[in-house]
Order: sequence, then C-alpha cells, then structure tokens
Amino acid sequence: MKKFFIYVFVFILVFNVGILQAQDLNIKVSSETVTMKIGESKQLDAVVLDNAGNKIENREFIFFSRNSRALSVVDTTGLATAIKHGEYDVIVISPGDPQLRSNITVTVEPAPISKIEVQGIPENIYAGIPIPLELKVTDEAGFERPEKVIKLSSSDEDIISVAPFTKLIPKEKGTAKITATVDGVNETIEINVIENPIAEILLTSDMVEGRSGDVFTLTAMALDKAGNQVTDAPINYSFTGESFDVSAAPSGLITEEGKFVADQPGVYVINATSGPAAASITVQANNRNVSRKIDVVGQGSVNNKHTSDLWIWEGEDGKDYAVTGTWGADGTAYFWDVTDPAGIQLVDSVKVDARTVNDVKVSEDGKVAVISREGASNRKNGLVIIDVSNPRDAKIISEFSENLTGGVHNVFIYKNHVYALSAGRKYYSINIEDPKNPKIVGEFELDTPGHSIHDVWVHDGIAYSSNWTDGVQLVDVGNGIAGGTPSNPVQFASYAYPSGSNHAAFPYKDEKTGKFYVILGDEEFPYGLDPSGRKPSRAAGFLHIIDFTDLKNPKEVAWFQVPFAGSHNFWIEDDILYAAFYNGGVRVVDISGELLGDLNRQGREIAWIVPEDPDGYVANAPFTWGAQPHKGHIFYSDWNSGLWSAKLQPIVPDNAKIDNK
Amino acid sequence: MKVQSVLKKSIFLVTAFLTFNFGVKAQDYYVYVTAESEDEVALIKFDGKNATVEETIPVGIWPAEIEGPHGINVSPDGKYWYLSLAHGNPYGTLYKYSTESNEVVDTVRLGLFPASLQVSKTTGLLYCVNFDLHGDMVPSTVSVVDPEEMIEIERIETGVMPHGSRISSDGLFHYSVGMMSGELFEISTTKLKVTRKLNLDGIAEEMPAMGGMDHSKMDHSKMGHTMMTESAPMYHSETKPTWAIPHPTNGKVYVAGNGSDEILEVDLEKWEITNRFKTGKAPYNCDVTPDGKYLVATYKGSGETGIWDLKKGKELPRIKNTRNVTHGVTISSDSKFAFISVEGIGGEPGTMDVIDIKNAKKVASVDMGKQAGGIIFWKME
Repeated sequence: MKKFFIYVFVFILVFNVGILQAQDLNIKVSSETVTMKIGESKQLDAVVLDNAGNKIENREFIFFSRNSRALSVVDTTGLATAIKHGEYDVIVISPGDPQLRSNITVTVEPAPISKIEVQGIPENIYAGIPIPLELKVTDEAGFERPEKVIKLSSSDEDIISVAPFTKLIPKEKGTAKITATVDGVNETIEINVIENPIAEILLTSDMVEGRSGDVFTLTAMALDKAGNQVTDAPINYSFTGESFDVSAAPSGLITEEGKFVADQPGVYVINATSGPAAASITVQANNRNVSRKIDVVGQGSVNNKHTSDLWIWEGEDGKDYAVTGTWGADGTAYFWDVTDPAGIQLVDSVKVDARTVNDVKVSEDGKVAVISREGASNRKNGLVIIDVSNPRDAKIISEFSENLTGGVHNVFIYKNHVYALSAGRKYYSINIEDPKNPKIVGEFELDTPGHSIHDVWVHDGIAYSSNWTDGVQLVDVGNGIAGGTPSNPVQFASYAYPSGSNHAAFPYKDEKTGKFYVILGDEEFPYGLDPSGRKPSRAAGFLHIIDFTDLKNPKEVAWFQVPFAGSHNFWIEDDILYAAFYNGGVRVVDISGELLGDLNRQGREIAWIVPEDPDGYVANAPFTWGAQPHKGHIFYSDWNSGLWSAKLQPIVPDNAKIDNK
Repeated sequence: MKVQSVLKKSIFLVTAFLTFNFGVKAQDYYVYVTAESEDEVALIKFDGKNATVEETIPVGIWPAEIEGPHGINVSPDGKYWYLSLAHGNPYGTLYKYSTESNEVVDTVRLGLFPASLQVSKTTGLLYCVNFDLHGDMVPSTVSVVDPEEMIEIERIETGVMPHGSRISSDGLFHYSVGMMSGELFEISTTKLKVTRKLNLDGIAEEMPAMGGMDHSKMDHSKMGHTMMTESAPMYHSETKPTWAIPHPTNGKVYVAGNGSDEILEVDLEKWEITNRFKTGKAPYNCDVTPDGKYLVATYKGSGETGIWDLKKGKELPRIKNTRNVTHGVTISSDSKFAFISVEGIGGEPGTMDVIDIKNAKKVASVDMGKQAGGIIFWKME
C-alpha cells in the first residue's frame, strides 16, 4: 500500500513537472519590430526558451507574411524581402508540443518621391474656361502614391489661379507657370492662356418634345465674334426642370457628349456653357405611357422540386412545346404541350443520372434537345442529347461527357453545334450533326488569372459568353466578322464592369437607330441564405446596357434595376425585354429607341408579373428563373412553382390611365 | 468489527453503484457529414443504437448554384470544423466553423476544387489538397493555411488530382495521392515541401512533367484511356489511388487503389509497397482505428464497406451499405464504430451508416442531404 502511494506521488510529480515544462516554453523573436527599405532582404529570427531563459535546441520555425505580395518571407528560413511600402505582420510558428507563435511587425519604408506627372492639358487654353488637371505622383520604387497631397501654385494668379480639387482657372490672356510640389519634388509647366474667342453658343436639339426615356441629342456650336465655329471649345451641359407631377422631382441624365434623357415627364431647360458664353433651350418629355395589363394564363405546376430553365419551341407537328429543367433534385427534365397556354399539359419527362438539369435548349428545327447535367453519381456529368421530334415520347439519343465531367451549367444549340460550358472554366463547341456521336471540334477559354464563365448564348454566328469578372466576350463562331468558325472561335470584342457579376448576356440591335447593344445581367445574392432552405430567397443585381455599336469602344449607357430583386435570365423580341428578376418575377420593358440612363425610372417598364403559388415547393415564394415570349404569350419558369404562361394585353390609347395590376 | 463490516459493505455498494453507472452510461458519438449536392452539412449523433441528424447546416452563399461541400475535418482541440467548398468561380473556398455554434468564423480562397484537409497538431497549420478534379491533367497542389489567421501561406505542388490526404499521428508528415498520376506524396509539415514520392504503378520516375513520370516509356494501351481530343494521350494511373491513411503506430501508410481494387501497404522506412490487400470494387476512402487494429475501407463501386484485421491481414465479412456509391469513412476515438457516408444516386438522399467494427455489422443508419461525402468524427460524450 505504501508503495502504491509512492508510485502515485511520483507519477503526479512527473506529470505536473511535464506540464509545467511544456507551459513554460516560450518563443522569442529577435526583434518584434523591424524596419526595411524596399528591395532590402533581412533575416528574421526566433528562438524557443525555457523559463530559465535557456535556448531549446532543435526547434523548427515556420515564418509567413500576412501580405506576401508586399513582403515576401521564405517560410522555412525567415528571410524577408520588402517589396512595397507599408506595415506588415510576419507570423512565426515553432511546431511541436507546445506549439508556439509570435508576431513580428515589419515596416517597409516608402521610397522617396521621384516624379510628378501633369496630364490633361488641352492644346488651347481659353480664358474663363476651367481646366481639371490630372496629376500622378510616383516614387523611386515605381509605386504610384495617390495618398500624397499635392500643392499647386501659380506664378501669376491674375492669369491663372488655382482652385480646389486640382483645377486651374485661366483668367486672362498671358503666360503663367504652374508648379506641383510633393515632398520637395517639383514639376513646373508653362501654360499660355489665350483670349477666349467664344462669343456665342448655338444650341439645338433633335426634338423639342418627346417622352420620358427618349434621348434628346443636343448640338452646341461655339462661335467667335466673326461667326466662325470654335471647334475645340469645351462645352458643358446641364439641365433644370419641372415635373408634371408635383409629387415627383424632375430628374434625368445629361452626358458630356450632349445626350439628354428625362426620367420624369416634365419641362426641362437644357443649358450649354463654354466659359462666359451660354445658351439654353427648353424641351418637353411627355408621359411614356407604355404600361399594359398582364394576366396569368396558365401554369404547369412543379411543386415537389425546384425548376430551372425553360425553352419553348414549335414542334414538327406544328404544336407548341416547352422543356423545363429541375434543380437539386433527381435529374429530371419535363416536356410540356403549351399549344393552349391556358391548359399547359405535361406530356413526357426524361430522367438522367444527375441532381441538377440546369439548362435546356432545343435545336432550330425542333428535333433535338440538349440538357445539361450536374451531380452525376459517377461524377461524369456532361450533357444529354434527346430526340424531341415527338415531345410526347422524348428519347435519349446519346450522353456526352468528354472534357465535361466537371458539370455543364449552361448550353446553347446553334447550327448543329452545341456550345457547352465545362466546369465553369471554358466552353466547347461540339458538332452534333450525328447526334449519336457528338464530337468536340473547338473550345474557347480566356487566359486571365482566375477566369471563369457562367453562360454562353449564340446569335448570328456570334457567341456571347458571360464571364463574371471578365465580363462579356464576343466570339466569332461562324459570323465571319473575325474569321471564326465553331472549330476556331475568335474573340473580337469584350466589356467588363467593376462588380464582376456578369451572369448572362443577350444581343439586341435597334433597327431604327442602328444602335447595337448587348445587355448584360448580374447575378448576386448579397442577402445570404435562408437557413431552413424553405423560405423565400431574395436576389440583387441588375441589367447593364452596353452600346457595342463601336465594337472597339463599348460603353455602358443604361441600366434596368428592380429594387430589392435581382436579375437572372432574359430575352428580347420586337424591342421588348422580358427579364426574370428572381423574387421580382418577370419584368416586361420597352427598350425601343436609343437607350440612356435608368430605364425603370423613365417609365419604360410595360408590365410585371410575379408567380405566387400557395402550393409551390416553397409556398408563395416567387423566384423566377427565365422568361421567353412565344406566339403572343410570355412563358416563364419559376424555381418554386414550375412553368407559367401570361398574356400581355393590348396597348391602351395615349393618356388613358390604367392599372397594370 | 461491526464498523469494519459496515464500512466494507458500504465501499462495496458504492463501488458497485459507480461501476454500474459508469458501465451503463451510454456514449454519444458526433459526426459531421457533407451533402455535396445539397450544399449542407449534417451534424449526426449516434447514441449507440440510433443515429439522428442533430442539425443541418446550410453552407455556401449562392442559392441557385451548387457549391459542393467536399472535404471536412475538425481541429485537434475540437473547437472548429473546416470545410472545403469545391466549386468556385473558379477557385474553391475553405470555411472555418465553430463547433459550438456551427456558424462561419472565417473563410479563405484556395485552389481549384479543394478537397480533403486536416490540421497538423504539431504545426497548427491546415493542409488541403486542391483536387482540380475536372481540370487539365497537370500537377496540382496542396494548400497550407494558417487556420488562426485564415490565410493561405504556401502551395506545394504534388501530382495530378491530389486527393485523400491525412497527417501522421505525430503531426509531422502529410500523405496524399495523385489520383491520375498514381503517386503517393509525403510532405514535411514543418519544412512545407515534398520530402518523398512513390509511384504506385511501379513506374520509374524521370520526367518532371505529368507528376514526374516518363510517359514516352509507357504502354498506354494497358493504362486506361485517352481523354484529350487532339493532343497526345494522357496518362491515367492504373492504380488510381484515392486515399492515403498513415497507421498510428506501425510505420505504414495504407493507400486505396480505386482503379486496381486493392489497398496498398507502403512501408515508410523502406518507402516501398510491402503488401497488397485485394478488396471489393473501387475502394475509395479508408481509415485506421486509433488502436491500430483495423482498417476500414469504403468500396465505392459495390456499395460496400470492408474491414481489415491488420494483424492477420484478413478482411472481415463485408458489409452492404444502405445505398449505392459508398464514399467516406471516419472512426470513433474508442475504435468501436466506423461511420460511413453513402452518396446515393440522383434524387436519393445521402445516408450515413454506422458499423460496429469488431462485429463487422451495420448497426444504424440515417438519411441526410443528397450525395453524402466528406465525413469526420468529432467527439464522444
């Protein structure tokens, strides 16, 4: 018994000592703060000490920087190299038991300022016309230093004075030196102010009366005293207005090119100024009056699973059919007879090894459908080609997964070729002349860092792919504009915007104005997930209208936004946009004529309809996926309730007041 | 005497009472399982008889896209669980969750299709393979992440489609396989570099390309199939290793040969294959009991689970899983139970089976979200 207690005592002693030893080890860095110069390398060090301050041998260390692009650190040696100025943390870990950590704060000193560049100086500087300067400060390491405050001074304030926000005010004829100074570095330019020749501005508009949303094209001509045109006179446009509706503030948009659009019906005064010369005209924007009534016509309910995309087509028998996909379910695609939009009938279905059939498309001749596959049990996803010459007896012709195992999110059929996305990275063009034996003939992939793709749509031999942060890519796959073919896709234009949310694209040419637009849709879900998965969701994002008339200089000119809803798939036919806005249902928008500014505020929305179904997969939770017009009806698929049809009622006479709901 | 007798009886009774209470107190086992086609993670409790989904945690941020939760693991101290969401734009993301609240703590973007992952108890760093399942047949990497700061500190290149990674019990070495290059990689968790690699197809290493193999000397007709449309045929490993699990004590690593229907035993000292266990069809994941006695492997191709007595080198009677497509396995810390994730097909739910290892018997089962995949034992209570 005595022995037992001794054993216990010794055990407790050893155990506790062990713990104490382990707890008393600590890591010590040679210096908690280190200062470096750009380009300099420095060895960072650390040791492990016991509580008596003795160094513990054979401890390894792992070093890493919290910002390796600005301060690189070799993780096993601790050799740090400064790349960019700033303050950075280096973390040091000593593996083992106990595992120890410490931090070193490294300050990389900024390099001295080396130069100041002054840009944006026009050739002729007229007295009375302010000049906004563009200034760029660079240091000796080559980094731009926008945080630096630049001091501007003029050698003669009577000729040119300096105004806030780096503006110069030329006051009278003469020469003055403008000096920009930062940290003792100066840049001086000599500016010669000439007498302002502008005596008069002639301002005209292509119309004096239009509607809200119509674009007024302004022409302002600056003339000198002799009546000669001053071609380089900078013209500033502005407007004031009075709304017809006393409860609505007059608003609109005017561009530096001289385009004006009114959001609210009203009378607007357009001003053009160039220095002291000014002119104005008055225009009137009447009520656009495009609202129309829209009615639900029918529904093909799917309430036991989510519904994804849709495609409507005229079958070989002259009847009209639809195919819809399903999402996060059992790999089913449904075929519907929609000849009578009020009596949509389910006529067949095809089930494949997948969880999601995200996209469905049908060939131009209505004989072949292609459905995409994600979540196959063998992880070989790809696509499935289906004979739909008799949609009442849809038959699988072939399955194709070569290079598409990662899942096909979207597909398109165009002239015997399927354009299929692969794992969100690129798309392949696949020849299906023999649909039993599809064959990859080409592919398109960007080479940007971290590139990805969400959708591809083909029209008139041009593939429009939506590539998230890389925006829309216009690729010739047979149009001829850039010599491309399905086997040799050639990219010839693109446009990206800052949010990086480009999810879908649809081309549109306005025959009256000759404008060529590509409408780009966002997909955003900033409001997070419903934890239960059984409550309505809410999306964000909107449609961006890009003027691609000049392919080399595409410009974002307008947008369509629905508050607290988000865009998804959309379609354009006869100058009307049919856009699914998830929780905002289907929005029908007049996009006739030139487009500029906020289309929704301009009263261009013709109608909207929200599919609410108390028996839906999630009850009364509209989440509209896509919309497609067909033979006078609008068909749309909804995530929670299946396939729907609606009818837009005829246009009512001008100025008649209607209730569109 | 009487007092002594009473005292003795009392001690006996108290001891008996305590023993009885201790003995009958049921153990609860907690396991996290991913549902790859549902974008959720199930926290499942097994009380010794029944398995129940305690909580379903939705993961990801895109309601209309499947983001594919794939790899999952729990920190050595049990306070956090880590999850790789494989499908990104294009890169996948590592999520850190609190086991206390099952809420997101932080995230960090990794490489293409991040999959299996684990925190080393020695370095405290997390090592996650970038599977790049659907990418080109080129070597991918293992990401090294500081889970405290949630920043990626290093990427270590390994083979084509790195997968099935686990760390040695001392926390010093990370083992993973190149599924398509047919290689086993050993990474030093402290030196952050590949220390050894072993070709599991028995092909001499030479060229740096394609995971270090000389393809010019290969007979491709005996090695699976071509994949590319126009370029030269790509090498696909015959062994197609999908998982590597180091034994806690015997100095071996066991590798699931998904293509060759075998478990390969690799001796770490000799760094060579020293044994092969013929298994059911397409072994996918495997795990070894903490006591080192048994290896449990999932047979993805036959929907079965195999248990191997490692001392005898023999397989116990196979267990048919509840559904087809058996995926992952994790073992309780008391070495008694194996928890198996079973994907199912199409619209079927995913399932977690519980197997009594010693008796080679399925004792419980519970359905969860679709395509049950990544699985990790959390704790016993």
